[in-house]
Amino acid sequence: MIDKLCDEAVEEDTAVACFYFDFAARTEQSPVNMLGSLLRQLVSGMEGIPEAVVRSFRNQKKVIGGRGLQVSGILKMFQTIAGTKRTFICVDALDECVPENRMVILESLGQIARESLDTRILVTGRSHVRSEVERKLGGAVAFLLIEPTGDGIIGYLREKLKNDTTPEIMSGALEGDIMESISQIGSETYV
Amino acid sequence: MSQGFSNNQNSFNTRSTFNSSTTNTFNYLTPDDESKILAWLSPLEPGVRHRDIGAQRLDSIGSWILETQEFRRWHGGSREDGTNHPTLFCDGNPGAGKSYIM
Repeated sequence: MIDKLCDEAVEEDTAVACFYFDFAARTEQSPVNMLGSLLRQLVSGMEGIPEAVVRSFRNQKKVIGGRGLQVSGILKMFQTIAGTKRTFICVDALDECVPENRMVILESLGQIARESLDTRILVTGRSHVRSEVERKLGGAVAFLLIEPTGDGIIGYLREKLKNDTTPEIMSGALEGDIMESISQIGSETYV
Repeated sequence: MSQGFSNNQNSFNTRSTFNSSTTNTFNYLTPDDESKILAWLSPLEPGVRHRDIGAQRLDSIGSWILETQEFRRWHGGSREDGTNHPTLFCDGNPGAGKSYIM
């Protein structure tokens, strides 16, 4: 999806930023670092660094030792940038963000969507965080259930079997059994 | 070590497409200044994870999403035409392929 959006961005003057939450990286994936990463991607795609960003950077340097970014400061800079063009933000695995941070992230994404009218935000996550998303984003959010498709499972299995490192022990019958049995249980577990 | 702006790997965007007429930008910063500012914004590099997932994904996996009404409304809708859902939440069980649709 991101690749499709990026392809379109070349033709249609849009911007794309993404983020992948990972529970193993929960310490460094703070709200400031996460939102700052989205902003950094948008800034990186511009011909020059926006004045608002340069000014914030220079102002924080006046404090001894420098001042770290804050969520409110990032959101202000976001508004000056995302407000100028169609912007797509994609966030994966919201459930892997620690709960306290998740609230801040959802609040912030909601604010971005409200203030930058041409911004579109896509979030993926396990179903147990759906109620939090509903509560924080309310009527501004639509939902789509992701389930493995039969074609997807078969295609994945074919690819795996094609690259089997021990093809000498594979037979047509065994391959057939694998395809059939995994396809049957796959709709609940595998892609 | 400083990194030149043109070598930045942390962007999904094509710089030449930006319309600078709508935002005031600084075009006279040195590459070193620009690198410092970008590093100040965030040390994280989600592009690495995106490339890892892309390398493992079959081309056709997840393409059905693009044809759904929910995605189309999210992607092409606007506040003016009444499709006022700027956010799309894609939920599913563990292993359903959520990361691979990205």
